[in-house]
Amino acid sequence: MRRDDEPLTPVERAVRNRRRLVWLVVLALLGGLVWWLVGVNQYVVAQKTEQDHFLHGSIGAETENGLPYWVFKALPEIYSQKLGGEGWEHFGLITLPGDDLPLGFSRRVVTGVERVWFNCSLCHVGSYRMADGQQHLIAGAPSNNLRLQELISFLVEAGRDPGFTADSLMTGISKAGGQLSWPERLIYRHLVFPAVKTKLQWVGDRLAFIDRQEPWGPGRVDTFNPYKAIEFNFPMDEAHVGADVLNGASDYPAIWQQSPREGMNLHWDGNNDSVAERNLSAALGAGVTPVTVDRAAIGRIEEWMWHLPAPRYPGPVDEVKAARGEMLYTRYCAACHGRMAASPPLEPQRGPGSGAARLYAAAHVASNIATPPTRDCAAPQPAGPVVPAAGLGGYQQPGTYGEGIFAYAPARAYDYDRGRYPCLGQVVALDRIGTDPGRWRSYTREFAAAQNLLYAGYPWRFHRFHKTEGYAGHPLDGIWARAPYLHNGSVPTLRDLLEPAAARPVQWYRGSDELDTARVGYRADSAAPGRLFLFDTTRPGNANSGHDYGTQLTADQKDDIVEYMKKL
Amino acid sequence: MNPDRAFPHEENANVIFRPLTFRNLEIKNRLLRSNISGTFDDYNGHGGHARLNWEEKFARGGVGAILTSFTPVTVRGRILTRYAMIDHDDKIPFWRAVGQRVHGHDCKLIMQLSHSGRQQDLGGVENLHLRAQSSTDKRDYFHGILCRAMSRPEIAEIVRLFAQGARRAREAGLDGVELHGANGYLITQFLSSGINDRKDEYGGNWEARARFVLEIVRAIRAEVGQDFHLQMKINGEDHNAWLYPWQKPGNTLDETLRICRLLMDDGKGVDAFHVSSGSTFPHPRNPPGDLPMRDLARWYDGMISQGTRAGFNHAIFSNRVTAQAFRAFWRWRRGRVIEGINLPYARAIRAAVHAVDPSVAVICTGGFQHADVIAGAIREGDCDAVSIARPLIANNDLPQILRQANGPERRRECTYCNKCLINDLENPLGCYEVSRFPGDSFEDRYQAMIADVMSVFDPPAFPPTPTPPRQEAQP
Repeated sequence: MRRDDEPLTPVERAVRNRRRLVWLVVLALLGGLVWWLVGVNQYVVAQKTEQDHFLHGSIGAETENGLPYWVFKALPEIYSQKLGGEGWEHFGLITLPGDDLPLGFSRRVVTGVERVWFNCSLCHVGSYRMADGQQHLIAGAPSNNLRLQELISFLVEAGRDPGFTADSLMTGISKAGGQLSWPERLIYRHLVFPAVKTKLQWVGDRLAFIDRQEPWGPGRVDTFNPYKAIEFNFPMDEAHVGADVLNGASDYPAIWQQSPREGMNLHWDGNNDSVAERNLSAALGAGVTPVTVDRAAIGRIEEWMWHLPAPRYPGPVDEVKAARGEMLYTRYCAACHGRMAASPPLEPQRGPGSGAARLYAAAHVASNIATPPTRDCAAPQPAGPVVPAAGLGGYQQPGTYGEGIFAYAPARAYDYDRGRYPCLGQVVALDRIGTDPGRWRSYTREFAAAQNLLYAGYPWRFHRFHKTEGYAGHPLDGIWARAPYLHNGSVPTLRDLLEPAAARPVQWYRGSDELDTARVGYRADSAAPGRLFLFDTTRPGNANSGHDYGTQLTADQKDDIVEYMKKL
Repeated sequence: MNPDRAFPHEENANVIFRPLTFRNLEIKNRLLRSNISGTFDDYNGHGGHARLNWEEKFARGGVGAILTSFTPVTVRGRILTRYAMIDHDDKIPFWRAVGQRVHGHDCKLIMQLSHSGRQQDLGGVENLHLRAQSSTDKRDYFHGILCRAMSRPEIAEIVRLFAQGARRAREAGLDGVELHGANGYLITQFLSSGINDRKDEYGGNWEARARFVLEIVRAIRAEVGQDFHLQMKINGEDHNAWLYPWQKPGNTLDETLRICRLLMDDGKGVDAFHVSSGSTFPHPRNPPGDLPMRDLARWYDGMISQGTRAGFNHAIFSNRVTAQAFRAFWRWRRGRVIEGINLPYARAIRAAVHAVDPSVAVICTGGFQHADVIAGAIREGDCDAVSIARPLIANNDLPQILRQANGPERRRECTYCNKCLINDLENPLGCYEVSRFPGDSFEDRYQAMIADVMSVFDPPAFPPTPTPPRQEAQP
């Protein structure tokens, strides 16, 4: 038995114990601080402008679904051959000069590892060229060249690929210029790689149904089937998701002018009339979860797109034809889609500081309309001091909207008045509209019920999702930049849409962003520039039927309508 | 203006130097040397030569009685090392010698029987590995001195030790004993509602908390009889929350009055009460005055090994900013009055006690050094006598001064700096206020101060014997 002839005194023991306790508390606090700084707190790049925030800002998708930065950089190196040496551009992604990541990808440091994943701009940056071949980008327009299905398949295949190993990853990182420190190498080899592999395999399991789907093609997405699988774990096998609901791919929408859209039935099938709820739901599609969503970041984008102006048609407009077309449009189209604003003022205009009013006023100046608009949308005007109209000189015309390559002239003012256009934002029954039912079928009642449980316990819990009976009519502001047409993008140009279904192109090419200024849409011929995708309207979900409004008009009348629609 | 300034000094002196008759004791005047002592004695508790000199200084100075300072009834109850104890019969001869020295100056000697409880500042090597005995397990909140609640057998043993201490005092020929029931020592730890958290018959209401000291009083009476002077030092109020407002305040004056009446024990209990205040030592109210922060930084370091909070305290005392903040706090908690700070309590206690038995006297402590204040208090019936410590250290002959004048010369007055208190931790007890000493330079004044402090060692235990004259060699 050990003898202790030099025990501590009670005071010394108490002081020692207290010192130990203090150290323990200090270490616990330090540990807690490190844990919070590394494990809990997340780090994002703050963007100065709203546009940059939209293009590069994180909405929280990286937390749960993001790829670690160096995995993202290494994959194009590892699969260089598969991607034809194009890198991520193979999937229609656009990387601006000087940017490290393609548009639509943001970065966020989570648990000490920088991750990248989607943000809103992935699906909402449009690209077009005039005949001169110069590419223009529009923030908020549909991503007409994004090949999301191929991107997903690529990642899933990487997860399944036995050749995608820690070694190949580390080699790929080196090739991508990654000079990792030894702790980073250890982390990437032993923690990151297994987690990524497992996650990709999980995604592959969940999205296995994609292999059964028709190709989405560029500019299209099946919004709700992957949503069912990822968010709700719905069984997606053939027995549960048959051919009838399997193919719901449709075009990306434009996201400008959300203020007047509040209260309209949003989504192609009009399943929700709340802009905020629709936005949060779309963010889920980009990879956020109810837990990881960065609502502040999404809120900033919401503010921005609330009054984001539609872009003005960049080519010449034959005003004579357009004037004739306006009459026809007003007669055949405006009830469901609204039209360019042209009413004289009935009351004093709001001050120039009131967002939308300023933009609309500016647009009117540009279009040489002698009077500023009055009611420019059905949504309530923001509160603010009402000042007498100071004449047109009182309004500042922005020459362009947006910055850099995204700069564009705002479109003319649009009249979203649902009092004047009773069908605007309303759902037209499927048997009346007659367009392809695939997208409508893919949105099921069970799915709507599940959606309405999302964010349970929060004030922003979903509660407005519902199954509709058809597709909704939407405003056509900036319609020239929203080609191809119909919900499933099955009609390449506006002019084609005015033809009877039987006369519309059966097979044509998506993937070019060169504008067809005559027919209004992107070029769909096989000689069009760009990486083309043969779109077959005979395939399930791709039908170009329905929406036969105006199809009985003469060719000249149709041309006139199209000319007018350039002005929207 | 003190109304007693209207009295001529001779009147005040007559009041002060009128004999005081207790039930079993008479002293020649109303001035008692309060309990204060230096660490002069042998480490093992046997008395030392310096203590004889120490007590004799005051007897020679003219006080009517001396209260020995804190005489532990057991080494477990020591507050500082090198204090003479009364824990064994072998201490009786020493105390007899002290009594004889004091009696030689027509001065009485009352032994203060004490037990530190958890307020054991320097317990010595004997107590190094022991937790102090107390009514509670909660450590002292000022120094952080560890303790544990005594069991019933331990309580009975302590009661017995107090009684034995009284017996030894009587056998030594001393004139009485005092129980130190104030200022946070063991008896206070039982009495105070701010400290005593016992669930047994020794804790709870005031009566239960007073059981311990009542048992001691009865045990002493059983041991020494009714004709031996027995007095009790007690807090008028505890002011237990002086440092931390979340501490319980402790006993109120009302509880103290009840306890005093209980301790009179129908005429068989105590003969006098000695009134102080403050449930810790030191306490802003006791000894009332200033706090010498530089001295604390120098001499408090020995406490670091004694309490879990002493290191923290020393750090506070050693930092100029925190030291001055603490000093300001201390002075604010004390209040404006120093001389006679406890007189309101004494007045209330005397009134309550005299309502039952006018033969029980009340002594009040608290910075007395002026005849008008002392005489006024006695004349008004606030107390029957005063006890004085620091002003007597400053001026050992204070009684003689008071006979002639209202007080010492201004520059010789006690400044209440409390340097004597702090120096006592590591240095011989004396007045360390350099400014009080004569001299044109600091060195001169400091030498004068040191000479005064060291006078306690004069005459030495072994005075040099005169050298016999050398024999001239015969041719």
